[in-house]
Amino acid sequence: MESSALRSGAGTPRQRTEGWNRYVTRYVTGFTPLAVLSVLLIAAFIMMNAAAQNSALFGRMYSVLLLVNILGVVLLIALILLNLFHFVEQYRARVMGTRLTLRLLVMFVMLAVLPVSVVFFFSIQTLNRGIDNWFDVRIERALDDALLLGRTALDALKQDLVKNTQEIAVELETLPVKPKTGGLRSELSLLNALREQYNITELTLFTQDGKIIASVSEASFEPGTLVPDRPSDTVLTQARQGLTYANLDAIGKSGLRLRVVVPVRSRDVGAPTRVLQVLQALPPRYAKLGESVQSAFAEYEKLVYLRGPLKFGFTLTLSLIALLTLLIAVWAAIFSARRLAAPIRELAEATNAVAQGDYQKQIPVTSRDEIGILVESFNDMTRRIHRAQTQSKRSQQEAEIQRAYLETVMGRLSSGVLTFNQRLLLRTHNPAASQILGAELKTSGRKSLAWLTEHYPTLHPFTEAVEQAAAAGQTEWQTQIQLAVNGRRRTLMLRGTSLPSWRGKRGGYVVVFDDITTLIQAQRDAAWGEVARRMAHEIKNPLTPIQLSAERIRHKYLRQVPEEERAALERATRTIIEQVEALKSMVNDFSEYARSAQMQSRPVDLNDLIRDVIELYKNERGLSTASVVPLHRANDKPGKGKAPRAVSTRLDLDADLPVISADPGRLRQVLHNLLLNAREALTATPKPMISVSTRVLTENMHRFAELKIQDNGPGFPEAQLVRLYEPYVTSKEKGTGLGLAIVKRIVEEHGGAILAENLKDGGACVIIRLPIGDAVAVSAEKSPALKPVRAETKA
Amino acid sequence: MRVSVKVDWRRFVLAALALALPGEAAADFKIADVQPKFTEQSLTFAGNLDLGLSAKVEEALAKGIPLEVVIDVRLYHQRRYLWDKKIASWTLRRRIQYHALSGQYLVSAGEGEAETRESLLTQQEALKQLGSLSDLKLALPESPSEGAYSADIRVSLDIEALPTPLRPVAYTSFAWHLNSGWTSWKVAR
Repeated sequence: MESSALRSGAGTPRQRTEGWNRYVTRYVTGFTPLAVLSVLLIAAFIMMNAAAQNSALFGRMYSVLLLVNILGVVLLIALILLNLFHFVEQYRARVMGTRLTLRLLVMFVMLAVLPVSVVFFFSIQTLNRGIDNWFDVRIERALDDALLLGRTALDALKQDLVKNTQEIAVELETLPVKPKTGGLRSELSLLNALREQYNITELTLFTQDGKIIASVSEASFEPGTLVPDRPSDTVLTQARQGLTYANLDAIGKSGLRLRVVVPVRSRDVGAPTRVLQVLQALPPRYAKLGESVQSAFAEYEKLVYLRGPLKFGFTLTLSLIALLTLLIAVWAAIFSARRLAAPIRELAEATNAVAQGDYQKQIPVTSRDEIGILVESFNDMTRRIHRAQTQSKRSQQEAEIQRAYLETVMGRLSSGVLTFNQRLLLRTHNPAASQILGAELKTSGRKSLAWLTEHYPTLHPFTEAVEQAAAAGQTEWQTQIQLAVNGRRRTLMLRGTSLPSWRGKRGGYVVVFDDITTLIQAQRDAAWGEVARRMAHEIKNPLTPIQLSAERIRHKYLRQVPEEERAALERATRTIIEQVEALKSMVNDFSEYARSAQMQSRPVDLNDLIRDVIELYKNERGLSTASVVPLHRANDKPGKGKAPRAVSTRLDLDADLPVISADPGRLRQVLHNLLLNAREALTATPKPMISVSTRVLTENMHRFAELKIQDNGPGFPEAQLVRLYEPYVTSKEKGTGLGLAIVKRIVEEHGGAILAENLKDGGACVIIRLPIGDAVAVSAEKSPALKPVRAETKA
Repeated sequence: MRVSVKVDWRRFVLAALALALPGEAAADFKIADVQPKFTEQSLTFAGNLDLGLSAKVEEALAKGIPLEVVIDVRLYHQRRYLWDKKIASWTLRRRIQYHALSGQYLVSAGEGEAETRESLLTQQEALKQLGSLSDLKLALPESPSEGAYSADIRVSLDIEALPTPLRPVAYTSFAWHLNSGWTSWKVAR
């Protein structure tokens, strides 16, 4: 049974109402109330049945019992109707199990109703017939006859008494109406004499209005009665009118008696008529027989009259009992059907729940029969399903975690990874792949290699390599290809592996590739550094003796040689000295390039540094300073060659640029080299202009200080764009080609990056990015008053 | 003098029950004029109770079924501001029965030694005798004080005194519901 919600006093009104409803439902449709009511009703019926049979114990309670039973039956009907109503509601709501319950209910009710109806019908028939059989016409007639006989016999006695009474009355007529003194005694004696003469029990003389004049009676007649019995007013009136009254009197305490009342006329004229009453007790034998006949007749008459009510009473009792039996049967049917269907309904509901995906459903096992076994099996089944499902969920979760893990790893990989299925459709890729290939691979759907080639024609070597490897059926392959991505050449190292096959199907391929451009570049740089170091070492050593020797030759032999050859010697030695000087300078450049990094980092304000260098250039009016490594100084000497044009310098410096950690001397060298390069490139440009800008840049969670130097010159030759930073790559007639190589080296020593490109509308652009790291703290101390500087100056 | 008719819920219930079932419109018990009066230490009455029997009851009587009528009398001392004070109450039972051998109706009252019996020739006479209050003398528990007194009287047929098989019929038939209801009378001195 469900627990009562009423026990908890707290709760919302709605909850309380629901609790009340449940409480009511429990006490209206539950087992106990109906069982108790049924037992009580059966007890009441037993008592009523006893009462109907004139039992002294219950006879007085008959009506109360009847009422109680009728009310009980009505209550039972109401309860059953409520149960049925509840059931119909459930049936309409298509509650699981109600159909089965209905079938069981109908079956049980039929089983109960039919036999009870048959028994009831035949019982009523038998009862009515039985009661009718009590009565017999012959007995009735015999009783009637007996009564008639009794009456006739009494009538004969009555007639005799009337005759005697009338004779006595005649005798009494002589009595004076108003007796003299002491006359009453003579009247009494006369009456007594007459009584004895006629053998009368009691003789009373009344006046006209019923007052007793004299009365005599047998000594044994009604002892204890002082006043003689007086006739009723009607009888007196009758006597006054001269009529005789004679009848059997049934009220006497000593049994039946005859009463005769006659008028006694006075012989005196005008004297009032008196009334004589004669009471004659019947002889005991007569009296006894008469009483017997009377009581038997009366009893029989009563029975005859009560036949109908008796039948009604018995029928009522029987009907109520039949009804009670039926109702209890119906209720038992409801209860049993519900009880039988309950586990099946629960099972059906649970199955439904399992079908909906609730695998945790468990049904309480209430019985040990087949249904109980079924329920246990069901519980076992759901338990297993639930376990399997939990396991599958866990595996799924693990797979998900694995996938996320793989994705994260792939996302952080610097190598590009692409996987293809057996039909070479792209399945997965990582961000590095998109970045390296410069292709947007995130679009939906599976891409084929053809699609890749079609949308990114520059990737043709890549797709070709993959296709070839797949066509050749190689399980492991490796190749190096060259791509031009976004106008820059890139060298990629491709490694491919075919994935393991599954269920007889060929697996796909995984292609891992790295951008080894930088690596190759670094290798080249390292090789060049080594060459430069060795050359510097090997060449520098003999140069000083050569120079000294040339100077000595000049000093010693210039005055000694003839005048005409002096000029030639002088020119020759000067040439040697100059060339050795040039060689020394070149060797210094080489050693500078090959020199190992000895950074002296400290916080540097890049903007200040740029302003200093630009200021220097403005002061020198185009001359390079001695403090920087001259790159193309041959052309820069004033008076020799072309005079440099005035180059406009445009500064666009970000005031918010933080202080960076760098070696200011080397950064200065970078600036000098780049500015010199730019200026040299602008010699043929009509309106030369160099713009220098800085800004703060955030990329991939890293902050950079970006320095951009661009000119409006002819730009870098396309052919050299790829190998721009290699030594001896130069477009200039006399350049060593070490300028940009040194710039790159310094930038890389600072942990930065350099990018050189040609602008679309002419001119070259060099972008340097330096990381903003620990030096940020220093930038906080920077004056906030600094505003972005925008200056345009004529250099 | 009739003062008022008191409302009795039992009459309503019975009437409702009787109306719900088929029955004949029957004669009823009526209390027309009883004239209660204090005589010395007792309460006496003049006049009769009008006891009319319905055909069904008459038939039952003729077939020898004894009938018992109950006369309820209640004496109240009337008070102006409070409810009336009940002084005494009496319940009198009277029986009527047909005597087949003598062809008379026997009317009896009281019980045991105090029982009085009378035989009457006609039913009419017997009923008149049954409803007669002339000889009735009800002893008072205390002598009546000053102030107005009222007597409530009701007469009804006692169904519970009928033979058991007849009771369900009597309860479910309007013909058997013979009841005058309470009537209130001013007691004269």
